[in-house]
Formats: sequence, C-alpha cells, structure tokens
Amino acid sequence: MNNPFESEVAAQPPADPFGPSGAPHAEALIFSGRGAEYFGIWIVNLLLSIVTLGIYSAWAKVRRLQYFHRHTTLGGAAFDYHGDPRAILKGRVIGVILLVAYNLSFEFSPVLGIAVAIVLAAVMPMLLMRSLKFRARNTSWRGLRFAFDGDEKGAYAVFLMWPLLSVVTLYLLAPMWHQRMKRYQLDNTRFGTTRFHLDVPVSAFYKIYGVLFLLFLTGFLVLGTAMIGLIVLSGGGPESLSMLPILLMLGWLAVLMLVQPYLLARLQNVVWNNTQLGPHRFESRARARTLYAITLTNLIAIVCTFGLFMPFAAIRLARYRIESVTMISAGPLDDFVAGQSPDVAATGEEAADLFDVDIAL
Amino acid sequence: MPSAVAALYFDGVSARAHAATIELDGDALHVHAEGVARREPLSTLRLSEPMGSAPRLITFADGAHVEVRDHAALALLLDASGHRDRATVRWAFDARVVLGAVAALILIVWLGARYGLPWAAGMAAPHVPQAVVAGMSQQALELLDDRLLAPSKLDEARQQRLRSALAARSALPHTLLFRSGGSVGANAFALPDGSLIVTDQLVALADDDEQVLAVLMHELGHVERMHGMRMVLQGSAVALFMTWYAGDVSSLLAMAPTVLLQSGYSRNMELEADAYAAHALRSQGRSPALLADMLERLARAHGAREDGTAAGWLSSHPDSAQRIERLRRGDFAAD
Repeated sequence: MNNPFESEVAAQPPADPFGPSGAPHAEALIFSGRGAEYFGIWIVNLLLSIVTLGIYSAWAKVRRLQYFHRHTTLGGAAFDYHGDPRAILKGRVIGVILLVAYNLSFEFSPVLGIAVAIVLAAVMPMLLMRSLKFRARNTSWRGLRFAFDGDEKGAYAVFLMWPLLSVVTLYLLAPMWHQRMKRYQLDNTRFGTTRFHLDVPVSAFYKIYGVLFLLFLTGFLVLGTAMIGLIVLSGGGPESLSMLPILLMLGWLAVLMLVQPYLLARLQNVVWNNTQLGPHRFESRARARTLYAITLTNLIAIVCTFGLFMPFAAIRLARYRIESVTMISAGPLDDFVAGQSPDVAATGEEAADLFDVDIAL
Repeated sequence: MPSAVAALYFDGVSARAHAATIELDGDALHVHAEGVARREPLSTLRLSEPMGSAPRLITFADGAHVEVRDHAALALLLDASGHRDRATVRWAFDARVVLGAVAALILIVWLGARYGLPWAAGMAAPHVPQAVVAGMSQQALELLDDRLLAPSKLDEARQQRLRSALAARSALPHTLLFRSGGSVGANAFALPDGSLIVTDQLVALADDDEQVLAVLMHELGHVERMHGMRMVLQGSAVALFMTWYAGDVSSLLAMAPTVLLQSGYSRNMELEADAYAAHALRSQGRSPALLADMLERLARAHGAREDGTAAGWLSSHPDSAQRIERLRRGDFAAD
C-alpha cells in the first residue's frame, strides 16, 4: 500500500523536460488542480464505483489520474495519462484474488498458506515490474511517452532478494534495499529516448532511516508512557482494558503521522535532487514540517467531514509535493524525441492488452 | 462559424511545441502552425475529457496532438461541431448533480450500514467453511486466554454438572469452557464454532445452575444465529472497502472503523439472542425471568465498580433495563 512508487509516481508524474529557450534555466512544475473542482470528479467516481460494485473504479482511477496529470504543467505544456481502464480492471481483479487467496489460505491450513505465500512472492516482482511499465508508458508530456525498460532479473532482485535480505538482517539493509529499488525504478525509465539516471549514495538513505528510527522510538516512548498513565489513572479495570485496542490503534495512527510526512519529504528530495534526465537536473525542496502541517490539518478535516474533505486533501498534498520540484534544464527542451518507431509501439500496445496489468495493492 | 482557437501543436515525434490555431471546417479540423497545415476528419480525432481549467488535448490518429487552454473559444468550436462530452464527466462539473451525488452517497452508506451489510453478512455466514470458523474461534480463544482470562478454579464436579445439564438441553453442537474472569469479571462469551466460555465469577454470581444455564442459552443464541461470524464478515467487508478506497488519500484512516465495528454485538443481535434464550427456556419448562435475573445481577456487578456508569458487560449489552423488562414480560414475537 505504501509502496514508495505509488506515492512518487502517482502524485507526481515522472519528470519532464523542456523549455522555450536554449540557455540553462529553472523550469517550475505548476499544479493547477482545485479541491472544489476535483470534488465533483471524486464524488461521481465514488458513487458510480459503489453502484457498480467496484467495477467502475478502474474508469474512476483513469479519470482521477487524468485530472492530476493534466493539471500538472511544465514548460507551458501539461502531462497526460493514457491508461486503459480495462487493463486496470484486470489488474484489480487479479489483486483482489491474490489478496483473498492469501488471507484465506492460512485459515484452511498452514501448508496451503505457505504455498500461496511462495507463489505470491514469485509472482509479485513480475506484477510490480509490469505495473511500472504500464504507468510509465501511459504517461506523456508534449506528445512523447515515458517508458520503463526494467528487466525480470532486476525486478526479482529489488522486489524479492533485497526484501528477504533486509528481513534476515533485521532491517539493517532496508535503506540499501530502498536505494536499489529507486535506482531500478529511475535508471530504467526514459522519456522518449532520453534516460533518467539516479546517482545517490546509500548513506543518504541510511541518514533518512536513522532519523526515522529515532522518530519511531521517541513516538513509541511518549505514547507508551501516555497509555500506561491513562490505564493506571482509570484504575486498570476492565473498562480501560476494553478501550485498549482503540487506544493502540490511535497510538499507531499517531506514530504513522509522525513518520510518514518526514519520509515523504526527505525521500522526494533525495531522489529528485540526485536524478538526471539526459543533461537536465531536478531540484526538490519539500519541507517535512510543511508536510506535517498539511497532513495533520487534512486528517482533522477528513475526520470532521466524515471523509468529504478527502478530495481537497488530495489536491493540497499534490500541490505541495509537485510544486516543490523544479527542473533545471541544461538546454532546449525541444530536443527530446520519441523513443520507438510506430511499428514497435503497436506491438507494444498488443502486448499491453495481453499481459499488462496495473497493480496498486 | 466560430473563429480560430489558439493552441499548441505537438507532432508526437519530438517535444517541440508549435504555436498553432485550430479551426472547424465542415466535418474536419484545420490545424495551422508554422510549417504545419493539417486537415483531419473529426471522426478520426480523440478529444480528452474536460477537467476544469486543465488543457484539453485533441489527438490525431498518428499520435500528434494539439493542446488547447482557451476553454471559452474551444467550447464554441465544440458546440458548432456537435460534440458532446461523456455524461459521467459532465456530471462531475454540474453543481446540482454533485449535490445529488453527495445526498445519494449518504443515503447509500446509511442504507448499506443499516440493512445491506447485515443482510449480506447473514447470507454469507452459513457458507463460511467449517475450517475457517474453527481456526478463527481457536485464535480468538487464544487471544482471550492470553490477555483477559486465567484457568478456572471452579471445582471439577460443578463444571461437569453444568456441562451435562447444557448437553441435555441443547441440540446445538457446543463446547462449554470455564475460565477465571480476571479483569473482565462475571462474563460469558460465545465463539462462532460453538465454544461457550463462562467465568467463575459469573457462576458465583448465580444462585444455582439454572441461572447459569439461562445465560448460556443466551450465548447459544449468538452461536445459533452466527452473530460472531456475521460481525467478523461485516468488519472485514468495511475494512476491505476502506483499504480499497482510502488509497486516494491515506491508508491510515482505513483501520479505525474496523475496530469500532468489531467492538461488540449490535443491539439487534442481543435481542435476537434474548429471544432465542426465552424460547429455549420456555420449551424446557423454565421461565425467561431466569435470564432477566442474571442480567440484573450482571448489570449491578459491573455497574458497582464505577459510579453508576454502564461498563463492561453492560456497555457491550446495551439497554439492559429494557431487555430485562422484555424478558420478564415475555413479549417476544414467536420465531
């Protein structure tokens, strides 16, 4: 769910080239989406998705991504999203089947559960790779498509081997895994024929996760103390114990609130500040404390409006994250050219129909 | 005849933007830019949906497109061409439809929570495989033993007597378990697989076995009506829906309702279990008042801990006074 790709790519269409003049200059990403406008799309999407028992959700997703892509402008031109809702629906059906199979199998027998888990682990890297391809190919800017060329070997390395390694080492290698994953994602992405390249030292990720660990620790200590205090104060009777699950849930929520905005801001900065697209660079200045303010006020407003604030919240978050990125172009952005001849693209589309799924578990 | 509309033309091969104008010409669209002059039949073009102030893209069959930001001028051109946007996207920008959608959504959520979900869970509960029911009950029992309950100190003879008495009176498959209540005090639980757990404190609270059996009849009512499984199904359905939808903003919120929903049986379920117990007690030649007496004692036992506030058994068993009254009057529709 909190797949780093999901947030990065969805909230912020991969990068972007191009400016009118030939001299090096900064080109800001501009986001023009408005909450009141998006609300209409959101509510109609939600209603139709419920009425069709979830089937419309694929079409809803396309419209949502179109809204965010087309409201993101760089160098005077907007991004666009071209995903086929039928491919997304297929992906969702597969996702639900995998999820249900995984959750139910352990209830039947541990052996079956382990078997399903193994199958899932073997299939997942492929699905994630396909999903990255799908997302990149269906994003465009100035009429040129993005593309993802990552191979199976790389997918199994970053989505299976590294996760296992980091678990075995008690997550000591997790930051390294994250760095490899970002590199697999960006180094294999291109805009037209121009490649992205991420050159970031592992130490940058260790630094982020180090602070994250301290935040976690502090959060747990403070919350743990508060919770024990509450229980002692209320006399430790059955009433306070029956409240325990809810308290724990709220506590977990609070810790996530503490950690998520920090991770989001730092990660976005470290990735984009070290990414190149051909000769062009990027600059990202997302601030954790601004993201804290946005996330916290969003959460409060969502709870107070029983969820109706969600579309406004999504717009606020997207605006901040997108507009904190600037492209530093080294020359004319007109020079990008399409990556594939039309024939190859056609076969690509066919393959997409047969194999491609877009998974967002 | 609408005038020309300013646009940017992209050929789909390079990222170069060409300042252009588009114009309607009968059944075709004219694109003029420096070095570009195209005339394409309208039927071969793809127009992106309106998205507020976002630019609209008109894409040609060969991958080239024009990007238009002058919405007023484009609207005139589209009107003249007879183009109509898809209904679902027109709705999204129509204030009346949006308000209607909000109202419809609130109605659907209310109807769904009130009638739809319980109905669906009731339909699905009997079809849950036995292995799943057993596994889930086993886990729940382990959790209870781990967190809340301790081994029973009730003497073996009394346990055996209650077990055989219950077995003699109920055809429903069940297992009677005794535990010491610890912090939950006098209490009884029913698990979906028919495990009934009675605390020593509840047995001590009763004058005799008859009163304990009356409470067990109520718990058997939960088992017979599959209340436990229905609650789990309802909770999982809500959780599934929330995780699926909350992807839009934050998955954090997804967890909260699940917890709230799973905190005890609904009032309706308690009434159903009461009705089941009353019916069973009467058919055994006994009075539903036995259960009423026990409810009263339980309410008092739990209420006595705190100053008058309903808690514990009472809070998860709402409207005790009303239920006691009902059991005493015996006004249950025959079911």
